[in-house]
Amino acid sequence: MTQPVVSRRDFLKISGAAAGAVAATAGMLRAPVAQAAVSANLLDPDGDGYISTMCEMCVWRCGVRAKVKNGRVVKLEGNPEHSHSQGKLCARGQSGLMTTYDPDRVLHPLVRVGQRGEGKFRQASWEEALDIVASQMLRIKEQFGPEAMVFSSTHNLSQVQFENVLNGFGSPNYGTQRSLCFNAMVTAFLLTYGVEEPARNYDTVKYILYVGRNMAEAISTSETSGMVEALARGAKLVYLDPRFTKTAALASEWIPIRPGTDLAFLLGMIHEIVTYELGDCEFVKKYVVGCEELPAAMAEYTPEWAESKCGVPADTIRRIAREFAAAKTDALAHPGWRTSNFINSFQTERAIATLNAISGNVLVPGGCLIADSPEASGVSLGKPPQPAYPRVSALRLDGVPWKYPLVPLKLGVFQEIREAIITGQPYQARGWFISRQNPVLSIPDRKRTLEAMGKLDFIAVVDVIMNDTAWFADVVLPEASYLERYDPLHVVDGRIFLRQPVIEPQGEARSALWIYKQLGERLGLGDFFQYADEEDYLRQQLAPLGLDLELLKTRGYLDPHIEVEEPTEIRFNTPSGKIEIYSETLGNAGFSPWPTWEEPATPTPDRFYLLTGKVAQHTQMGTQNNQLLHKYSDKPRIWLHPSAAEPRGVLTNDLVRVRSDVGEVVVQALVTEAIRSDCVYMTPGYGHLSKGLRTAYNNGASDSELHVTYTDPVSGGQALTQTFVTVEKA
Amino acid sequence: MAQTKRYGFVIDVARCIDCRACLVACSVENEVPMDNTRIWVHDLGIKGTFPDLTRSFLPYNCMHCDNPPCTEVCVSGATYKDPDHGLVLVDQDACIGCGFCVDACPYNARYLDNERGVVDKCNACVQRLDVGMSPACVATCVGGSRLFGDLNDPTSEVSIALKNARSVQRFDLEYKEGVFTGPNIYYINGDVLQSGMGPRMPQYTLAEQGWKKALVPLMAAAVGGAFMVQATYFTKQLIEGEKEFDE
Repeated sequence: MTQPVVSRRDFLKISGAAAGAVAATAGMLRAPVAQAAVSANLLDPDGDGYISTMCEMCVWRCGVRAKVKNGRVVKLEGNPEHSHSQGKLCARGQSGLMTTYDPDRVLHPLVRVGQRGEGKFRQASWEEALDIVASQMLRIKEQFGPEAMVFSSTHNLSQVQFENVLNGFGSPNYGTQRSLCFNAMVTAFLLTYGVEEPARNYDTVKYILYVGRNMAEAISTSETSGMVEALARGAKLVYLDPRFTKTAALASEWIPIRPGTDLAFLLGMIHEIVTYELGDCEFVKKYVVGCEELPAAMAEYTPEWAESKCGVPADTIRRIAREFAAAKTDALAHPGWRTSNFINSFQTERAIATLNAISGNVLVPGGCLIADSPEASGVSLGKPPQPAYPRVSALRLDGVPWKYPLVPLKLGVFQEIREAIITGQPYQARGWFISRQNPVLSIPDRKRTLEAMGKLDFIAVVDVIMNDTAWFADVVLPEASYLERYDPLHVVDGRIFLRQPVIEPQGEARSALWIYKQLGERLGLGDFFQYADEEDYLRQQLAPLGLDLELLKTRGYLDPHIEVEEPTEIRFNTPSGKIEIYSETLGNAGFSPWPTWEEPATPTPDRFYLLTGKVAQHTQMGTQNNQLLHKYSDKPRIWLHPSAAEPRGVLTNDLVRVRSDVGEVVVQALVTEAIRSDCVYMTPGYGHLSKGLRTAYNNGASDSELHVTYTDPVSGGQALTQTFVTVEKA
Repeated sequence: MAQTKRYGFVIDVARCIDCRACLVACSVENEVPMDNTRIWVHDLGIKGTFPDLTRSFLPYNCMHCDNPPCTEVCVSGATYKDPDHGLVLVDQDACIGCGFCVDACPYNARYLDNERGVVDKCNACVQRLDVGMSPACVATCVGGSRLFGDLNDPTSEVSIALKNARSVQRFDLEYKEGVFTGPNIYYINGDVLQSGMGPRMPQYTLAEQGWKKALVPLMAAAVGGAFMVQATYFTKQLIEGEKEFDE
């Protein structure tokens, strides 16, 4: 068992140290945070009070009210003014101050002195560390062209400035985590509705279909609350998952479907609804492309056919289809993130888009799926002026679009970059600049990712802690935590929210806005960073709206007065302006224009499907070192059904050896009825290699060590569950 | 009744998703040592055989009893029931850390803070109540399972929740001849008195140690014996009757 690294006394001591660290190293943040907050009357003269900011423990970005006492943040509350938090924070949000006060924080720029992965670094000044990064990048550019530098970062508010480094530098190689997560969903909904991720409306929902969307454990605070409220009101929840998760425990009906066959279940439902015209025919005739031909296109997918594929009785599929259709606009088939994580997940998402469309719940008043663009709020923020990006002619290493014609450019296919680094095809990458991302643990087949890193001349990482990727880097640049820095503004439901420092950055940590600007200037890209400091950046964002930053800092949000014209007609952002269940774009690219069945791979009888899925106490692979979350987490163990455990002589807590085609781990077992007998489950994000993470290091095992790389040719999504493993007593 | 307010928790079992936001919130708000916890979400485990399974969770902390066994054994007078609102509190300046109350609590809701040498437990975040905020666990409860308020006030959220509940249960316990603890946590909309749902050891990574260190001898006392048998089932009618009596 892992021992607690910090006692409570230490925790308080660490917290106290922050007060002493006030702006000793201030650069851009000349005025101490506390001083400014006192003059804004947020804090009393003793430095006690609340400052509004925004959470960053996941990407839902809840509003936060941070309680500050004498230069320390002592408690975080959900901001009731923010629609994502509604006054609440989840376990991760509540634990956020422990990420800031993590004793393993990287607080100074570090330069590697030992072998890669040995963990030997020396402290460097910002000046020196930035000079090293810039000179290495410029050397690579000069010798091999800008495309030899790979950049990766995802889902943070400063990404727009990260992209200025990337695009200004002139590299086409951008690794986002998206292909490891929701490429299938986003690509399917872009092609079908013309939006990336439709919002969900739980206000009136009466019938919810989650296809592996484990809402009780993969928490988005307001949405999870919305689900619980809906169920308390009497809404029905049908939940497809091979695992009896905490969402399954809440569900009205749990269907332990065979992995990869959700698509058959959904096609069977669509068949039933269109054959008997149970859907919203008016809506479909008006707004859907392919409405006339849909019944014929779905003809082969009878519920009986679906039963033969997914094992769910045809009558059950028929009944659920009828119930779903009867709920009309109060039905919701959730797009989810990754559905079943198979190569056919893109088709599964197309089927989900189709189900919603034929029930007429899309975009109509009161409908449960809001296929609306974020721009609909009409709030358009300003930004610092910048020149046009240099022209890029090199092929993208991730194969978009030359190998993956339909993958949106900004999503990319991350795992392909790793392959290209290893093979050197179509050209050899030389350097990697990574900001707050952990590809060592996130990309499948960890050994191969480490092999790829070994092929590179230079790796620089920007992060808050010494994550596994930083551990293998040459230079680590310490970013200020989300409670210590400004980020670009965020608009939610037409309201502008601010992330602002509630305490001084500890050590020499700095905001990403500062780091990218400093780096950009050294790369000769100063024109892409025309802001004096973080506050100047924010003022330039607010300028076109005539809004005041000081007021925003005090209140944490501002409501711009924007007249939004109600659209006179519903028009979707697709080539036809309608919902494209029949997609000519897909057809032209050589794929099926209709949602269509694709047979998933199946394991041999001696192997199991390796399932993955979130727990409510952690976000991906970034929070396992947070001691408050560690304190209240379950021990990471591999789930195994008794009928699989017994013949192998495996009891709960026994060590088992798990092998896939690419790797092997030893991990403790949890023998449980809560999983299909042909599946095993591992919690992702464990098994860290970095000894710089004293809580997370060596705790549990990594599923990415086992995951085999399979890429969906349409969306570029990684099919995580298509990995099959053997299990034996260790 | 001298006491004007009667603070208590109402916990809607059907709404608990075991996300543990309450546990983290409590730990931070009350600076709970890393190897201790003031509150728990008990997991009954998964019942049944695949695929006919059920699972439910039991948020749990000090019951702020009407007749608290802990106050009776406190030699320093540090543990007391507040006369104004009925919360059972520990005056940690007066506590000598003898631990008698830890042993006496039939709900295992107390722990000895070895660093400070005092006993600690849920105080319903009185420091927050004083400034008009709800307890940290209640304020952040994602599923809206945890409610807190004045049970004597018929317009309070807790009273309304009790009135509308499908079922109401308490872990009432006859801890000595004819005397019941009278706990002030009311569990609604779920059967918490089913076998195994009572006070038991949670399996969190770090909390395990604290339990082993201080509380394991107590587990036998509470889980064994006649605890479950003596638990009293309060129907909705009974609660309403109680309210009439109070008025």
